[in-house]
Amino acid sequence: MKNFTFIPAPDLKTALNILDREKEKAKPVAGATNIMVDIRDGKLNDKILVGIQDIKELRGVKFNRGKIYIGALTTISELADSLLLEKKAPALFQAAQVFADPIVRNSATVGGNIAYGSPAGDAVAALMGLKADVIVARKGGKRRIPIEEFHTGVNKNVMAANELIVAVEFAVNPHSAFYKLALRNSMAISQVTVAVSVRQDRAGKITDAVIALGAVAPKVVRAYSVEKAIIGKPFGDEVIAAIAPALKKDIKPIDDIRGSGEYRATVAPVLVKRVLAKACGVCLNEGRNAK
Amino acid sequence: MTKHEITLKVNGKLHELKVEPNELLLNVLREKLCLTGSKYGCGIAECGACTILVGGKSYMSCLVPAISADGWDITTVEGLADGDKLNPVQQAFVDNSAIQCGFCVPGMVVTSTALLLDNPAPDEEYIKDYLRGNYCRCTGYVAMVKSVMDAAAKMKCDQ
Repeated sequence: MKNFTFIPAPDLKTALNILDREKEKAKPVAGATNIMVDIRDGKLNDKILVGIQDIKELRGVKFNRGKIYIGALTTISELADSLLLEKKAPALFQAAQVFADPIVRNSATVGGNIAYGSPAGDAVAALMGLKADVIVARKGGKRRIPIEEFHTGVNKNVMAANELIVAVEFAVNPHSAFYKLALRNSMAISQVTVAVSVRQDRAGKITDAVIALGAVAPKVVRAYSVEKAIIGKPFGDEVIAAIAPALKKDIKPIDDIRGSGEYRATVAPVLVKRVLAKACGVCLNEGRNAK
Repeated sequence: MTKHEITLKVNGKLHELKVEPNELLLNVLREKLCLTGSKYGCGIAECGACTILVGGKSYMSCLVPAISADGWDITTVEGLADGDKLNPVQQAFVDNSAIQCGFCVPGMVVTSTALLLDNPAPDEEYIKDYLRGNYCRCTGYVAMVKSVMDAAAKMKCDQ
């Protein structure tokens, strides 16, 4: 027995009404993979958990006119099994494959990963790399927030207490990729994650690049300086050389139990290079025989 | 606190239950239905000892508020065997002595059963990856992974 109470919300209208009435006292819950941990740790006390997991309209991956719309209650397993994402948004598909463990993935939801706002949130990093918008509803309205503006710090975001994440949406990009560096395979929290999506012209010149990194700042961040430094150039030595100096301006990694700030700052540009190469469809020769 | 009425189907049997708003599914299974196979390990979805099946998929019952499980069709480790006949995973665990202290075994067996529903012909790497949410602190993983391989092979022959 723990110190919470639970109200089931069978549909969106009910959920939004409860959130509007109870405000800060309420906490929407679906898979509870983070919330139950915080309750047991005594970080969340006496909350009214609003059970939203059965709201069908908030579930599923839809593709329409070049955009992918993912309901907030779509589980990470559903992302990991989505052939549509594998083809049209590999960055998110790849993040789902390495997210927590297969059992947690059956419960954990896209909306939950965003709402929790861990600086190491794997789905958040992938969605930021795809330049997603978070769609948030409240009683009587909806708004759209670019995911890079959604979080304000560790576990903090711009949502009001009566608001609920209902979906994310982004333009498809088959030229996207994701990588997670972690200490071990089992249930590992990321040391550094990188998500990249690019657009290239016929000559291979990068015309647009979005680079997001997790676990290197108080929230998942965009590497704007790197993006600026590489746009207009084809992937090659010049682009590779530009990554490390520019990335210094974009990230502020800290020391923690999973790695030192110095280590993270050292490996991050290498990972950006590799993920960028993958997104651009380039094979890097980094082995013993590399130039 | 007011109690809520919920209906659970567990191992094929329907139960009408009154639960507290702050009760967890794992506690209901263990304390109200006396199905103590599912274990309380960590309580925070890290160890997998409380794993149950819902619609063939694995879930950790320590995370689930009981009210939110209303209407679920659950299989616990007690429901895997057909009478006295163990399911192929259980039998393979016995045959391979893949049990040391035994605490993690119900969760391991349930997750492995879900694994074989997902992929009837897994390789070793697939199994290791799939079982990464289930901890065995006796570190008896080698025999467990072998058991799942054996169960898959047995099921293929039995078809």
